[in-house]
Amino acid sequence: MFDAFIDGLFLVLQWKAFSLMLVGMSLGFCVGLLPGIGGAATLALMIPFVFKMSPVEAFAFLLGMHSVAATTGDITSILFGVPGEGLSAATVVDGYPMAKRGEAGRALGAALMSSLIGALIGAATLALAIPIVRPLVLTFGSPELFLLSMIGIACITSLSGLSLRGQIRGFAMGLLGLLLSTIGQERQSGSLRFDMGLMYLWEGLDLVPVLVGIFAIPELVDLAVRGTSIAGDRATENLRSGVIAGIKDTFRHFWLVVRCSMVGVFVGIMPGAGGGVAQWMAYAHAVQSAKDTKDREGFGKGDIRGVLGPGAANNSKEGGDLIPTIAFGVPGSGAMAILLGAFMIMRLLPRPEMLSKHLAVTYSMVWTLVIANIISVILSLAVLNQLAKVTHIRGGLIIPFVLLLVFVGSYTANGQLADLIVTFGFGVLGYFMVLWGWPRPPLVLGFVLGKLVETYLFISVSRYGFAWLLHPIVVLLIVIMIVVIVYPFVREKPVLAGGGD
Amino acid sequence: MKYSGHVVFSLFLIAVAGYTIYTASGWSFKTGFFPLAIAIPLMVMALLHLALELFGAAEPAENPAVDAEFSNDVLPAVAWRRVIAIFSWIAAFIVFVYLLSFPVAVPLFIFLFLKMQSKVSWPGSIAMTAVTWGFFYAVFERLIHLRFEPGWVQTALGL
Repeated sequence: MFDAFIDGLFLVLQWKAFSLMLVGMSLGFCVGLLPGIGGAATLALMIPFVFKMSPVEAFAFLLGMHSVAATTGDITSILFGVPGEGLSAATVVDGYPMAKRGEAGRALGAALMSSLIGALIGAATLALAIPIVRPLVLTFGSPELFLLSMIGIACITSLSGLSLRGQIRGFAMGLLGLLLSTIGQERQSGSLRFDMGLMYLWEGLDLVPVLVGIFAIPELVDLAVRGTSIAGDRATENLRSGVIAGIKDTFRHFWLVVRCSMVGVFVGIMPGAGGGVAQWMAYAHAVQSAKDTKDREGFGKGDIRGVLGPGAANNSKEGGDLIPTIAFGVPGSGAMAILLGAFMIMRLLPRPEMLSKHLAVTYSMVWTLVIANIISVILSLAVLNQLAKVTHIRGGLIIPFVLLLVFVGSYTANGQLADLIVTFGFGVLGYFMVLWGWPRPPLVLGFVLGKLVETYLFISVSRYGFAWLLHPIVVLLIVIMIVVIVYPFVREKPVLAGGGD
Repeated sequence: MKYSGHVVFSLFLIAVAGYTIYTASGWSFKTGFFPLAIAIPLMVMALLHLALELFGAAEPAENPAVDAEFSNDVLPAVAWRRVIAIFSWIAAFIVFVYLLSFPVAVPLFIFLFLKMQSKVSWPGSIAMTAVTWGFFYAVFERLIHLRFEPGWVQTALGL
């Protein structure tokens, strides 16, 4: 196995594979900066180019591109408040307020360094998990996956205000998100729900227009209202010291970064959960890590931990995603489903043979993740100086350009003009939610998890009746879910006893 | 009766939940179960929140939700005027795209916004429009090969 591990490194370092990885990374870097066009879309666009490549070259090209897109997506989220891709929306919540405070360099430094650590942990987990992946994944059936999704939803308690009304608002938003996820064809029977007679809604609402609308448009409106640059009238930050401060922050909160990376890996392993879930669960965990109410107040207003958690999870989930994809041919996310297409083109069967006969190729993927992330972070740090200056350009000049990116990005979701209406509609909704203090993160969490919850619940009940509730892992997960719900209240009990509803 | 954004939003949620319950009640169990299981607690929560807003004590400011807040250093009347203006511009952009398609709407919108809203000089507006359009064309049309739907005008003229 060690020989295969080393062989994997040399395979990636061959000049042709390495060059193709650099080409893929360049593409991923540019595309990741564009809102809405995520790694999955880029993978789909580039699949036709891998026909004449060897397996190692193809995976170096595709994975290099995909992993870089995940990193650079955070840059757009922080600088403009526009999710670089659906997966980097959680970074907006604290990253953009930091940019508004004139700390774009610090936020970017923290996002990039936590992304790198997350990617390394994801790759290491992938390498270590290869021998034991089979029993690990097989332990989780639909009942366990349903409970994992419910734990994600339980994170709403941490993302809501801790008063009674704050909790009601948070859970109401989570329920609204779940409700929005039911739009379109019901997966089991094929019946249409809330389609309003529009064929556009048959597939349900796409994540990209919803996220871009609900996060980017309110920020653009706020920028227009302020009539200043993103960073306002604050003096230009010393970028170098800002970036270094961000890197130091990463190591100051190192264990938070590690824990959030593990959240990313774990969610990545679970088939169908996707990176959006990983980011939001990591964000909720970062909020939970606050020591007390005072410590928690900064979240949503520019707390560095709100950047570190999602940044780490975003990249660590790539390693996790690859585990079920390689071992069973079960893609962990949309991007991995596309990567599965590349496996077919390469005539590789993503089954246990990948863990025996083609082990060197499998390890070359691990090395690609490591090398691509290291290079991309170094490159990003090199160009941050120029990128962060954007926050000091007058808002009136930035707004039309960002609006263009927002709407073209949304349009790429389905290639239909109706995407623009959805973006606008959710922009209006997001504006009033921020204005009136109804939290957006629970809505997004509910929306992201809704389809999973319904699907896994249906399969669990169909397969086991209600006996699945007594599965040992299910019972354990129920206990964890209760802890997740109750923990913020137990921690804040002395404070809440003094006031509130 | 107290009026606040919370009351308005609670009423909005009650309407959404009510519509869902009414609609999903007519569906088969398999199709309607999940929406009903969500909409009923949503209705209860929205009603409870409305009651607390109307009849409860004022809400303390501490323990806010984890989300952004808008800046409040602009006079409310000015802020509302600017909010309406920017939403109108966004709506106008969508209308332009519907009528003329992205490749035409993008330079038109960028130029009009810079000239009329941002009060940029003529040479500045033209130069920035050209650069933005160049970026749009190079990245979205040439590199990514996005296919943009033709606008209503092009379709009507058979272009």
